Amino acid sequence: MTVTDTGVRRRAPHAVVARGLTKVYGQGDAAVHALRGVDVSFATEAFTAIMGPSGSGKSTLMHCLAGLDTVTGGTVHIGDVELTGLGDKQLTKLRRERIGFIFQAFNLLPTLTAEQNIRLPLEIAGRQADQALFEKVIETVGLRDRLKHRPTELSGGQQQRVAVARALISKPQVIFADEPTGNLDSRSGAEVLSFLRASVRELGQTIVMVTHDPLAASYADRVVFLHDGSLVSELYQPTPQSVLDTLLKLEG
Amino acid sequence: MLRTTLAGLRAHRLRLLLTALAITLGVGFIAGTFVLTDTIRAGFARTFAADADRVDVAVLPAGATQGGDDVLPAATLEKVRAVAGVADAQGLIRGSAALIGSDGKVVGDLPTGAISIAEGPLNRTRITSGRAPAAAGEAVLDENTAKTRKFAVGDTVTVLDHDQAQHRFTLVGLFDVGVDQELGFTGALGYTAEDARRMTGVKGFAEIDVKADGTTDPARLKAAVAAALGVGVEVMTGQELADVLASANGVSTDFITAGLLLFGLVAMLVAALVIYNTFTILVAQRTREMALLRCIGATKGQVFGSILLESAVVGLLSSLLGLLAGLGLGAAALAVLSGLEVDIPTGTAELTPRTVIAGLALGMVVTVGAALLPARSATRVAPVAALRTQVEERGFRTGVLRSVVSGLFLAVGAGVIAYAVSMEPGEQALFAVVGGGAVVFLGVLALGPVLVRPLAAFTGWVPRRLFGVPGRLAVDNSRRNPSRSATTTVALTIGVTLMTMMSVLTASTRATANAQLDEQFPVDYMVSAQAGEGTVPRSIAADLRTRPELSSVVQLREVPAKVGGARGEWPVGTFEGPFTVVTTSGSMSGFRAGTVVVGDTAAGKLGVKVGDQIRVVTEEAGTVPLTVIALYDSGSSPLPDLTVPAAAFQEYFGAVDDSRVMVKRAEGVPADRGRTVVEAAAQPYPTALVSSAAEVRGEFDQALDMMLMIVTGLLGLAILISLLGIANTLSLSVHERTRESALLRALGLTRPQLRGMLTVEALVLGLIGALVGVVLGIVFGWAAVQTMADSPRFDLPVAQVLAFVALSGVAGVVAALLPARRAARASIVGALATS
Repeated sequence: MTVTDTGVRRRAPHAVVARGLTKVYGQGDAAVHALRGVDVSFATEAFTAIMGPSGSGKSTLMHCLAGLDTVTGGTVHIGDVELTGLGDKQLTKLRRERIGFIFQAFNLLPTLTAEQNIRLPLEIAGRQADQALFEKVIETVGLRDRLKHRPTELSGGQQQRVAVARALISKPQVIFADEPTGNLDSRSGAEVLSFLRASVRELGQTIVMVTHDPLAASYADRVVFLHDGSLVSELYQPTPQSVLDTLLKLEG
Repeated sequence: MLRTTLAGLRAHRLRLLLTALAITLGVGFIAGTFVLTDTIRAGFARTFAADADRVDVAVLPAGATQGGDDVLPAATLEKVRAVAGVADAQGLIRGSAALIGSDGKVVGDLPTGAISIAEGPLNRTRITSGRAPAAAGEAVLDENTAKTRKFAVGDTVTVLDHDQAQHRFTLVGLFDVGVDQELGFTGALGYTAEDARRMTGVKGFAEIDVKADGTTDPARLKAAVAAALGVGVEVMTGQELADVLASANGVSTDFITAGLLLFGLVAMLVAALVIYNTFTILVAQRTREMALLRCIGATKGQVFGSILLESAVVGLLSSLLGLLAGLGLGAAALAVLSGLEVDIPTGTAELTPRTVIAGLALGMVVTVGAALLPARSATRVAPVAALRTQVEERGFRTGVLRSVVSGLFLAVGAGVIAYAVSMEPGEQALFAVVGGGAVVFLGVLALGPVLVRPLAAFTGWVPRRLFGVPGRLAVDNSRRNPSRSATTTVALTIGVTLMTMMSVLTASTRATANAQLDEQFPVDYMVSAQAGEGTVPRSIAADLRTRPELSSVVQLREVPAKVGGARGEWPVGTFEGPFTVVTTSGSMSGFRAGTVVVGDTAAGKLGVKVGDQIRVVTEEAGTVPLTVIALYDSGSSPLPDLTVPAAAFQEYFGAVDDSRVMVKRAEGVPADRGRTVVEAAAQPYPTALVSSAAEVRGEFDQALDMMLMIVTGLLGLAILISLLGIANTLSLSVHERTRESALLRALGLTRPQLRGMLTVEALVLGLIGALVGVVLGIVFGWAAVQTMADSPRFDLPVAQVLAFVALSGVAGVVAALLPARRAARASIVGALATS
């Protein structure tokens, strides 16, 4: 299942495809339906945002798409691999080779320097970094003079840029970003979002981002809206205002 | 506040479980020691009390209770019998008379004990089968000897009297020596009073037992007997005698208690470190909780109190469990001892109030004491910390104070050890080494956090390269919190240091002894009398000299003699045969009548050197002046302290028999052939025992190995507790790093890799602890060896030491099993969500 040939990957029109995805926590009366049959696909080389009010199931959807959580029903494909039904070992390997992550907080290992953190996924997978790509990524996120620093010596924005660089360096089929700007001030947040968009435009990266911030969502090419565990709406070429309007419609 | 603390305890009970176990083990060991020795002591008291019931008044020679050898003259018995109120009085005769086994040689290393069996109600000997000897020619044998030497009631045995003449007795019964340690060791035969006197040659009684006729109470009878006998005797009531005997035996149990308690205290010290570490980590992890309490109005004192209360509850519960464990341990040890048929009284395990109080107090003091510092640091948490989202990891910087203090400790400790090594070997020097070692250890303890980083880099070198990313992360993690790692590993270091030191000491003692045997005493066989004090006929050596299978036969003779100007008697002797004296000063060239060579130790005590004169009081030639012409090394030579030429010796003391004959095999003669020849020559003489150098060495080796095994086993407890500490630290760290582990899993670390990472971390911790321990142990061992003998051999048991290091590593890995399992099982999503 090792697919490193980028030519093969790029040919697939969709990087991630979910069909009839359901997720139920608990049983009987206490059962909570977090996802109720979600059908969604995410285009290759596109920046997609998943939006929805609190408790709409957006984080659960992302966890299921990324193989971090098991699904109750339905299927998820990453490229040509169906990850529903895979064992822990195969899932781990899949994450290593095809998926990148950016979290809201606690993205970096405190014992490692910025550069070591960036190279970590490749080393875990036992792969060599593409030096040209490394240089380009470092240049893009503007971390050249910070490579030898440890996370505690970096600002929140810098830490998150390191996390972005780490996600980009292994050229994953898709990057999942979970509220990547949730812990940042607006300027750092705008920077990080710009890098994410740039990586889609310039490096041909596929990114799926979960957020509840309309401004953040407006950086994406497309926004999908979740409500009560169901996909209810979507927007192409969103603006902050159009996103906000859609959200207000959903709430109301 | 109390309710909060208790709720906290309930919430963290799993995390505190390992801590509690550490205390339980320590208290259990100490309580077990008390249970064991108390039970033995009570058993002694019971046995002696039972004896005391039969005796109303006992008469002993003055000083007998302090271990004197005097006897009561026969006339004393008549005087006692004449005292009004005495119904019966019996004298006990006690000496030795060697039993000859079925192989025609005397039995055992020491002559068999010989006692008289009293008749009537004053008989205190417990006959277990057959009957007591009633007539001349009848005897009873102790059960153990009967069993090991295969004698039974009805057999005829041959016994040597004090003049080595053989006598035959019919065994009419078997008896139990009870708690008499001496008779238990030598074995014993019981005779009628008349036979006992004839066999032992003892002229008086070791003790006279009196039965009252019922008209006076024991105290008054005691006064009457004392009045009739005057000075020179000790008169006691039966009860007093029982008390004296019981306390005399109690002294030996005191030694056992002290020895075992020492190991118990080491275990408690290790437990204290484990507790200190646990509470420090718990406090660090609960910073926000503490801050929240402060925010809502708790005072510093209340926070401090809540931590102490928590430790007190843990201490109390685990000490109680420890007492139970101790009771079980003590009972188990008693069961093992009685299973081994050791001659000690046993009974139901006794849990005395003292044990309960000591166990509880120690457990509580250690737990609460170890929690003091962490509790204080909890009070330093500012209320505002509750508002911070992320708890910062405290970095570690080497403070000036720490460097100065640890440097001071190391310097002072090293200085004391260096001084001790330069001192005259002996107990004082050894104690100085122990003291210096303790100070050095404190220095290492203070320096620990500084040492951890470089040591982790060192021990982690291989795992880093072998286990890839998980290995590298693990090594980094082990250096992440140096204070925590240091405390965790120091706990293990204590045990490993002591173990290494013991094995170095054992190996060096063995090497020193072997070197002495090899270089200075190159003999294959030795013929000597039982107990090493008697003599063997000269004809044996004469016979051996005629045998072509043997290359050299050396006879040694000695007698005790008074030396002018010195107290006591000194062994004066000679040698005959090809023997080269290795001198330390002077020369043997002028060795003739009128000269003497002296062992250097004896020369020191006598205050003489080469050229001085010594006046020796002889039996046949009066006081003779002898010129010291040379000194030799006492420690390695078989010669008596004062050695004179053979002819001169005969002139001074007459025709004395050989005390030892040292024999060497000729080249090319097989060992068993040589032994047959020597045994054949000694066969006609029952007391002449043949031993070989290999046997002597073997027995010595066995004794050393046994000691090492026991000590290692006892230290095992400290090691076990320190492993609990590693497991504890690791599981607390795992808990702390839940999100980190989840991140790694999300980035593609497999479960086995995550488990491997934690395992490697434990391995590195274990290796650091072992490495420091081994280095310290070797240094301490070397220093201790220097204080034991003049020219000691240092031997490093490399295989054993490497085994300690390897075992520590393995133990660390075992300690990581559970924490690693838990970390690997955690769900990624759940772990990422926890804040």
